[in-house]
Amino acid sequence: MELMLERLTRPVLVNVLLLVATEAMGETHWAFRPPVRSPLPAVKDVDWIRTPVDQFILARLEAEQLRPSPVANKETLIRRLALDLTGLPPTPVQIDYFLADDSPDAVQRLVDRLLASPSYGERTALLWLDLSRYADTDGYEVDEERSMWPWRDWVVRAFNVNMPFDQFTIEQLAGDLLVGATLDQKIATGFNRNHRINREAGTIPEEFQVEGVVDRVDTTATVWLGLTMACARCHDHKYDPISKEEFYQFYAFFNNLPEIGNGGGEGGAAEPVIRIASVEAEAELAELDRKISGASEDEPLLEELQQQRKDLLKPIPVVMVMKEREEQRKTFVLHRGQYDQPRQLVTADVPKVLPSLPDDIPPNRLSLARWLVDPGHPLTARVVVNHLWKTHFGRGLVDTAEDFGARGELPTHPDLLDWLATEFIRNGWNLKAIRKLIVCSATYRQSSAIRNVPRRTSGSGLANSQAVDPKNLLLSRAPRLRLPAETIRDQALAVGGLLVKDIGGPPVKPYQPEGLWLPISHQQAYVQDHGQKLYRRSMYTFWKRTIPPPAMTSFDAPTRETCIVKRSQSNTPLQALVLLNDTTFVEAARALAQRMITETVDDANQRIRYGFRLATARWPSAAELSILREGLDDYLESFQQDKRAAEVLLTVGESPSHGDAAADELAAYLMVASIILNLDETITRQ
Amino acid sequence: MMHPLHQQQWISSRRQFFGRASGIGAAALASLFDSGTSAGGTKLVSRQPRPALFAPTAKRVIYLFQSGAPAQLDLFDYKPRLRELQSTELPDSIRRGQRLTGFTANKSLPVAASKYKFSQHGQSGAWISSLLPNMAHVADEICFVKSMHTNAINHDPGVTFMQTGTESAGRPSIGAWVSYGLGSENADLPAFVAISSVGTGRPNGEPLYQRLWGSGFLPSEYQGVKLRSSGDPVLFLSNPGGVNDRLRRRMLDDVSALNQLNLDRFFDPEIAARIAQYELAYRMQTSVPDLLDFSDEPQHTFDLYGPESHKRGTFAANCLLARRLVESGVRFIQLFHRGWDHHNDLPRQIEGQCYDIDQASTALILDLKQRGLLEDTLVVWGGEFGRTVYCQGKLTTENYGRDHHPRCFTVWLAGGGIQGGLTYGATDDFSYNVAQNPVEAFDLNATILHCLGIDHTRLTYRYQGREHRLTDVGGRVIQPILA
Repeated sequence: MELMLERLTRPVLVNVLLLVATEAMGETHWAFRPPVRSPLPAVKDVDWIRTPVDQFILARLEAEQLRPSPVANKETLIRRLALDLTGLPPTPVQIDYFLADDSPDAVQRLVDRLLASPSYGERTALLWLDLSRYADTDGYEVDEERSMWPWRDWVVRAFNVNMPFDQFTIEQLAGDLLVGATLDQKIATGFNRNHRINREAGTIPEEFQVEGVVDRVDTTATVWLGLTMACARCHDHKYDPISKEEFYQFYAFFNNLPEIGNGGGEGGAAEPVIRIASVEAEAELAELDRKISGASEDEPLLEELQQQRKDLLKPIPVVMVMKEREEQRKTFVLHRGQYDQPRQLVTADVPKVLPSLPDDIPPNRLSLARWLVDPGHPLTARVVVNHLWKTHFGRGLVDTAEDFGARGELPTHPDLLDWLATEFIRNGWNLKAIRKLIVCSATYRQSSAIRNVPRRTSGSGLANSQAVDPKNLLLSRAPRLRLPAETIRDQALAVGGLLVKDIGGPPVKPYQPEGLWLPISHQQAYVQDHGQKLYRRSMYTFWKRTIPPPAMTSFDAPTRETCIVKRSQSNTPLQALVLLNDTTFVEAARALAQRMITETVDDANQRIRYGFRLATARWPSAAELSILREGLDDYLESFQQDKRAAEVLLTVGESPSHGDAAADELAAYLMVASIILNLDETITRQ
Repeated sequence: MMHPLHQQQWISSRRQFFGRASGIGAAALASLFDSGTSAGGTKLVSRQPRPALFAPTAKRVIYLFQSGAPAQLDLFDYKPRLRELQSTELPDSIRRGQRLTGFTANKSLPVAASKYKFSQHGQSGAWISSLLPNMAHVADEICFVKSMHTNAINHDPGVTFMQTGTESAGRPSIGAWVSYGLGSENADLPAFVAISSVGTGRPNGEPLYQRLWGSGFLPSEYQGVKLRSSGDPVLFLSNPGGVNDRLRRRMLDDVSALNQLNLDRFFDPEIAARIAQYELAYRMQTSVPDLLDFSDEPQHTFDLYGPESHKRGTFAANCLLARRLVESGVRFIQLFHRGWDHHNDLPRQIEGQCYDIDQASTALILDLKQRGLLEDTLVVWGGEFGRTVYCQGKLTTENYGRDHHPRCFTVWLAGGGIQGGLTYGATDDFSYNVAQNPVEAFDLNATILHCLGIDHTRLTYRYQGREHRLTDVGGRVIQPILA
């Protein structure tokens, strides 16, 4: 009985009471007040401080009589930094270089190198793709293919050139409305066209036009404002001061597209769209169209021309974008949120609890975007730095990164949140600079080992961190974080030397178990790619929303049907099965085995050490080495007795085998490599 | 300085954690973590069985979902007057200006009577059409709810609403809620399993979507595990060729020993959890194939479920599999049978669908009953909406089609605390509007949870600032159908 209660009731009263108390005191909710930059708090242990971040963290630890953890060793640190900033493990050369760098700013220099890597933009885009519900299909019923990938490539480029976040915001929300908008700025607006579109036969267009706009409102409000505005679709928000009327005022910003609602348009795209074809392709298309209009009805030639046109168009992406309708679509408050229940007419505006739009500008998307990144805005900078903090600590300073409203969690370090937010604005919305402040901190550099386990006594007079702060909210150690799904696969490919680092382009279809789509889809079969396309970074894997890649969802990648701010961090048997048996990981183990054999001296221990270090960035201990060595000998003996088994095992995956290692030997190393890829340490950044 | 209110909440959340750590968190960890270390990890808790809030009448659920929307008028909702009205326009007094799909809006709406004979069965006298001769034998085990209604008129939103309580994406499926609320009864199998089959009546039926067995905003360990009808029954279950069981075991021992060394350095309970999950994966490599291996079933079982039950992936084989899963302690088994979307050529298609389901669903009820499992296993049968009384496409007495109809449809339930031999709710003479005791999906889901001993208003999860429920702000247990 007690257990069930534990499950069913959560302490919701605390915040509600706080809300009542706050309002009774006539105070505005903290997140609706502009951030205030407080002076850096005084600390005792000044030597520990590396960036201003640390002063806030340490002051709080000292107040609780907690001591920070020792700094992580350099191997742990470079792996942590490389995985966090680029999503790829460090190479032995990079590790050796960093280990040899004794200068006091070795970490800063490493961080600069990582931030300058093109992989940085890809890793950072992962967060943005979840937020923007980016995918390669439309997400309803038949779930047809679309081609929004030029937008995805825009995001990667924007992060890599460190586009200031205010510009990043303006271009995505309203790039089309900028004077002399470039093609790129128009593509950027694909952000708010990534939502699902229902093309199901028999749908009522008006119904899904409304669903699309609601999704834009919900996503924009969640991503930039950290507000759950969708709650006000049907009724006034229960907890935040957002009325239903204000919801539809905000809705009006996104309601003026020349769109149908349930599809339309060529190539899985729904108007308004941009076709991104080369000049040559456009010329060829015009020529074909001319021929087609000149051809008579029943000529076989016509059919052939139309086929040619289809073939020509097939590889050309059509990106859905934002565009204003010539005649303004009226926006009404919808009774109970229903498309066919319009009530009073409203015009575009922002919620009253937030700063108002300037009087002298038209209330359109461009004004809204500029308003979001106005230095006086209380939410945007806080929400964004919180997303970034979450990337590095697994938890935001505000744990409910998706909700800064009255029902959200309060910040663990409100002054630090505000300091980072004001710093972000002060430095010109510089994303790399904020990341650097965070990851160069002593806070970030701590070891992630849990100290003061209960069986030990703390004789130092200091508090036991496990007892005082079991969730590590105060950060007296670094968190251990399981890697994101994409990073787990990318790392295996990189460690096996298989990774193809090309950036961008159309999505690819790597290995997937046979028959995954056909039995439950609309006669769609997954046609796997070959060659280099098998080894691209996982962010380029074709994303079918109704049947997403199973190895990715096993490791908590969201389906991309809706805006997702936080991924869960599950630990399941299905994950073990992926790492043990998925072709991708078995092939990566084979490739790693081959590297172990060919890239180091002919000595079993050295080979194991080398392979272990490729995956974990450190050398194995004697105990670890001996486990792996005994295993190797056993596997070798086994495969020597059954060479056929070795040969069968080595056929997994399409990449060719190199070198002249005997099958039994290579298979035995494959088993060792597979152990290494399965380690909790390997799929975790410690 | 920290705002006093902030301080206060921080302290209270810390207390909340302490409460938890001394409760289930500690218990679950202790079993895996003999050093006694405890720190933030509560994830293992998800697999522990949890007692229900009040005495359940069902320990498990088999939901036979009929995707595409079966025609209630041709199966259960008998309307004898329609023969006389064949081909006449649906009266406005019945139609009441309700919205229609894009298929039939602004078209003629001629009445299409069912071409099938209906008769009454069992002591209860339930009306069942000649399409389901076998089901007639178990009429007294079944409770027919004829007054279901919904808002959605398209498949994707409709199915999503029935399974997750909202028409759009992002919410947990009912099985995920149950898995979250009650945990698992079997250490070697998932708590929630999904299975699908293709209908022979309409092989190219409506697609399914992973969200229908997904965990939505709940942690992803609560998502349903899809058992597949070809290849590995659970994705990635088989070892690669050349790796036999001895090698796998040895390799897992090495992984475990190395993980243990890392645990000794980091004391992170997640590592202990990882070690345990690898062991569970290993056990699943045996337990799942055992479940799918029907060779231990006697011939009379196959005779009961019908000839299709030999073929992996058919509805009949899935019904038999469902019974085996129930016996193994899986809590929620979600079957999907595709192919019920009969816009035209309905008779040919529905006959194929009924061939699939009639004997097999009947067999499932009988089989559960003779094993004493029906009394605590709830079986639910139904689709996402109903089909129209008016014809879509060409109408003759022998052939017709029916469009989507959300305003009424029939579902049935059996076992697990539900009164058999009952018909609840009624529709008007055209099976167009609900005439008596309307039931919505929230009510059905509230009732399913109730049978499992869960108060649907208390099974909540906080997401985006509010406590979410499967039944949103609605749902009322259908008390009159409870045993």
